[in-house]
Amino acid sequence: MLKNGPVSLLFHSLVVGFVLAPLVVICLVAFTPENTLSMPKFLTPWNGFSLRWFRAIFEHPDFTASFWNSLLLATLSASIAVALSVPAALAIDRMEFPGRASLNALFLSPLIIPHLVLGVAFLRLFALIGATGSFPWLVASHVIIITPYVLRLVLAALSGFDRSIEAAALTLGAGPGTVFRRVTAPMILPGITGGWLLAFINSFDELTMSIFVTSPQTVTLPVRMYMYATESIDPMMAAVSALMIALTAIAMLVLDRAFGLDKILVGQK
Amino acid sequence: MAFLALRSLSKVFGDFAAVRDVDLGVEKGEFVSLLGPSGCGKTTTLQMIAGLAEPTAGTILLDGRDITNEKPNKRGLGIVFQSYALFPHMSVAENVAFGLEMRGVNRAEREARVKAMLQLVRLSEMAERYPRQLSGGQRQRVAIARALVIAPPVLLLDEPLSNLDAKLREEMQFELSRIQRSTGTTTIMVTHDQSEALSISDRVVVMEAGRMTQIDAPFHLYENPANAFISSFVGKMNRLEGQMRGGAAVIAGITLPCAPAGLSEGTAATFTIRPEKIALCAAGQGLIDGTITSRFFLGNTWLMQVETLAGSLAVSLPNQGEEPPRPGSPVALDWPASALRVEEGG
Repeated sequence: MLKNGPVSLLFHSLVVGFVLAPLVVICLVAFTPENTLSMPKFLTPWNGFSLRWFRAIFEHPDFTASFWNSLLLATLSASIAVALSVPAALAIDRMEFPGRASLNALFLSPLIIPHLVLGVAFLRLFALIGATGSFPWLVASHVIIITPYVLRLVLAALSGFDRSIEAAALTLGAGPGTVFRRVTAPMILPGITGGWLLAFINSFDELTMSIFVTSPQTVTLPVRMYMYATESIDPMMAAVSALMIALTAIAMLVLDRAFGLDKILVGQK
Repeated sequence: MAFLALRSLSKVFGDFAAVRDVDLGVEKGEFVSLLGPSGCGKTTTLQMIAGLAEPTAGTILLDGRDITNEKPNKRGLGIVFQSYALFPHMSVAENVAFGLEMRGVNRAEREARVKAMLQLVRLSEMAERYPRQLSGGQRQRVAIARALVIAPPVLLLDEPLSNLDAKLREEMQFELSRIQRSTGTTTIMVTHDQSEALSISDRVVVMEAGRMTQIDAPFHLYENPANAFISSFVGKMNRLEGQMRGGAAVIAGITLPCAPAGLSEGTAATFTIRPEKIALCAAGQGLIDGTITSRFFLGNTWLMQVETLAGSLAVSLPNQGEEPPRPGSPVALDWPASALRVEEGG
């Protein structure tokens, strides 16, 4: 095990502190009893902290509806992106066919197009085909912007893959489907789960494009928060953020306990 | 009829013929090596037998049955890959059990057969380990166990020892031979290492540029190489240009005794002699005088280079506990007439 010197220890602490500081601030502000984004008063512990803004969230059913909506949207689109990316990555990595490089570029192109541009484009497209405000089309638009992340990670998992391992399984009597299920898929699993998580987070977090393509029935949580914040700045935003941080932390903890995060994201320990 | 037969087998990639019109019969229980330099088509031949490469022409018969177009997962052959190709996400026992699982063997029998196989390759203690926790030699034995547990009619080995260090490679040669003999599995091994091929095979097949140029028992192959390529590829060989005169070799004007050959008087020929068949003796007492130009100590042998009027000759002497003369010393060389031969196919 490599030991850190005092200087590098200080440097790492500062970096971690810089990353975490805003999250700590927002979590503290969430407990304020005031009507403004202010820090709770530490000197009066019991009167200084309040749960009123957390209570306020649940008095806004539109927020909880948006939360469930975002959760469903991110889960669906991340899963569809994985279902599309794995076969695409296998084809791009292993087959020689005309247009292979173009296909790769096409799949990755959403990364370089600004979400604002995509938002306007989708708005126009959905209006043309009469799909404005439809949830399936919202999912489709999210799939398009998150697929590059999954494809990249699955392609990375496939590079350096020893094909003779699959040949070995084949000669031991496994059919092509079994080879994929028992050998290929488990071996690229870190790429698949990592890609799914990254896609999920990107979809859950997406604001710029979603502003254009959501309807009042399909408003996502980031869009709801943005709309709320443009009208009034009150500590409820901080409370929603604190809840999201807590949920993410719990999800990560559960994942780690159940499967081991380093195992599903990095591969065998 | 041979147990495994290759008939006029060819494989063409574009305008490059990797394997050309190859014929081979392997008997049941036999250990055959395909020996040749890289790019000679030996691995492609193995892949065609395994079903991993499709032959352009020809047929493959296993026990009289045509398997040329059978899928690799239906052939039931055991294969050990150069990289071992173990399943990294499965334990040693799971790796070995995989083939049995695919055959629908029930759990109890599976466990018993895996256990017996791990015992055979001496890895019983490692059953629960993962491939990454094993050494190179252990991984290779897992790969052999995984291929053999399905009781394949033929075991195919692709450069099985090339990833091991020199000492381990020697140990594994004997280990491989022991395992093969105790199961009696017909085995075909691909290798570019002549000593590996000679030491463990019943027969060696030499391949050059997609063709099989000699098929012989190791000793016979070494003693009677069919052409110039084989004589220098398998072991070391001294080669001297000369003529046949009066039943003897005349090289650079010097008459030297040689093995009889059916050549007419005065025919130009290449004569060959193995370094270990030449004896070193005091100057003036051998067939030809010379001077030592270099000497290398290899532990069990001394490898010397001796400059003579007939040319420079490599001489290999067993180390018998006494230092041979130093470079610059005058010596003479001696050999039995049968050691100097006319090269075939030359």
